[in-house]
Amino acid sequence: MRPQLLRPTLSSLLALSLAACYALHPPDGGGETAFDGTRSFNPADVALPQGYRIEAVATGLTFPTGVAFDANGQAHVVESGYAYGEVWTAPRLLRVEASGRLVELARGGRNGPWNGVAALGEHFYVAEGGELEGGRILRISAAGDIQPLVAELPSMGDHHTNGPVAGPDGKLYFSIGTATNSGIVGLDNAKFGWLKRRPTFHDVPCADVELNGQNFTTPALDASGHPVQTGAFHPFGRASRPGEQVQGQVPCSGAVFRLDPQHLRLQLVAWGFRNPFGLAFAPDGRLYVTENGYDNRGSRPVWGAPDVLWTVREGLWYGWPDHVAGEPLSLPRYRAPGQPELQSLIARPPNPPPKPTARLGVHSSSSGFDFSRNPRFGQVGDAFIAQFGDLVPETGKVLAPVGFKLVRVTPASGRVEDFAVNRGAQNGPASKLGHGGLERPVAARFDPSGENLYVVDFGVMLVGPHGPEPKPGTGALWRIWRESEP
Amino acid sequence: MSCWAGFRTSAMAILLAALTACGSARRSEPIAGPLTNSDPVRRGAQVYSWHCQECHPAGETAIGPALNNKPLPDFLIRFQVRRGLGAMPSFSKEKLSDEDLDNLITYLKALRHNAPHP
Repeated sequence: MRPQLLRPTLSSLLALSLAACYALHPPDGGGETAFDGTRSFNPADVALPQGYRIEAVATGLTFPTGVAFDANGQAHVVESGYAYGEVWTAPRLLRVEASGRLVELARGGRNGPWNGVAALGEHFYVAEGGELEGGRILRISAAGDIQPLVAELPSMGDHHTNGPVAGPDGKLYFSIGTATNSGIVGLDNAKFGWLKRRPTFHDVPCADVELNGQNFTTPALDASGHPVQTGAFHPFGRASRPGEQVQGQVPCSGAVFRLDPQHLRLQLVAWGFRNPFGLAFAPDGRLYVTENGYDNRGSRPVWGAPDVLWTVREGLWYGWPDHVAGEPLSLPRYRAPGQPELQSLIARPPNPPPKPTARLGVHSSSSGFDFSRNPRFGQVGDAFIAQFGDLVPETGKVLAPVGFKLVRVTPASGRVEDFAVNRGAQNGPASKLGHGGLERPVAARFDPSGENLYVVDFGVMLVGPHGPEPKPGTGALWRIWRESEP
Repeated sequence: MSCWAGFRTSAMAILLAALTACGSARRSEPIAGPLTNSDPVRRGAQVYSWHCQECHPAGETAIGPALNNKPLPDFLIRFQVRRGLGAMPSFSKEKLSDEDLDNLITYLKALRHNAPHP
């Protein structure tokens, strides 16, 4: 380098260093804002690629999480009945009339969240998250009769029973998220609320695993504050030993399952996911899931872990709790500031983790999604993923809101592009931007014609000093369609 | 160069960097229209999706700073990608070849120059 360029170059590098000095920047998550209780809806506040349009179809929903369509193509949404911050309401299945009027078909008990809905034959099927009593898959008739098909699924922790989606084989596919962030029950789980209710609950592997015996020390939950040690796949306060064998079982944590709705046979499809919240079948019949990545919290925090879009291959282990997107957590890039480098919890991985289909935004909460099938909508074969948005500072730190939009992913290349985003000088939820656009998209599903993409918008969830603050009645259902080709 | 002149140069560089980072970083297709569809831009977009967008989605601020509103010269981008900087990891030639890096830079420049709709 020429000498006369050296000083300005070094100066620029200094400036870049300062700009890149993560620790110096104040956090600025999407939920770190105020909300006066009134939400407006203005399609003009949502930017889409040329030729696409959006409208709000129904509003006033409370914690909606999924949409499905009956044989007549009429939309039905589920309200979850539970939101982080431990707010309990009634989980419901609602028919959305053309006018936007909501008609209740079924109402559940206090065991939400209802995390999604699928239509198969004459029935609807709902994944009941199971925060209090364990997860269930429910069959709901057109008359609103609710019948559990499977129950007591191990989903009373941080993450729940998710889906379901109907497969081309006529079976139901659903998932169970993990109890913990990264395999160790800790004080962060007490903050979620469940650890004090169920002090012995923990993650369960789907196959036998041998542990390395790493334990993590935290104060006890009681007033004593005595230090306790907790190992992987163990209850809080129970240590593990090197070489210890933990027996696998089905159902289990962090896994995808197949359920025959006629014979009620439950089968494990794949495991080693963290929270595989979204499930969808591509036009070629392959099953994909979106996995919410590790957070920078708890006894074993992970920094900078992306969310992931996976192709699900039967029988494989996908890496949790020791890998992210096919890479080992021991890489320096995943070490949380001020923390030691991560070591594996499992001594012998069941298989080398697969490579992902796509890597998605860190803390974006990539959730429900669907694949385009109709050339009239365009982008056939691409996935349209709803990103619920960050829950900073509960999950880590970001410099600006992440998520709060829909992205389009081309599975063959892994290319990720914005599809539906709020207008404004920066990205973020409508509440933070002060307009009538998207708040927290949580699910996306094409109607049977394939011409309309319905987006379930959970509504306002702030993140305050005591954690998440969800706002009832602020959810919505949007419709996106293509009016003209560019 | 005297100490004072060196300090002045550094301060100007820092100020310039700060000022150039003040504009909005929004350049994605819904906001600013599609990018040119050349091979290097397409390949660069793919490289970006695999290695960069999880921390800099659409080139905007997220867990990492925005890239779209900073006129970084090519050699600095290469330096930062190969060496890492602060919380940003480094990307070796095994992980990101020279050809990939060339295409990535082409894409970054196309994204930076993608003007938002009026």
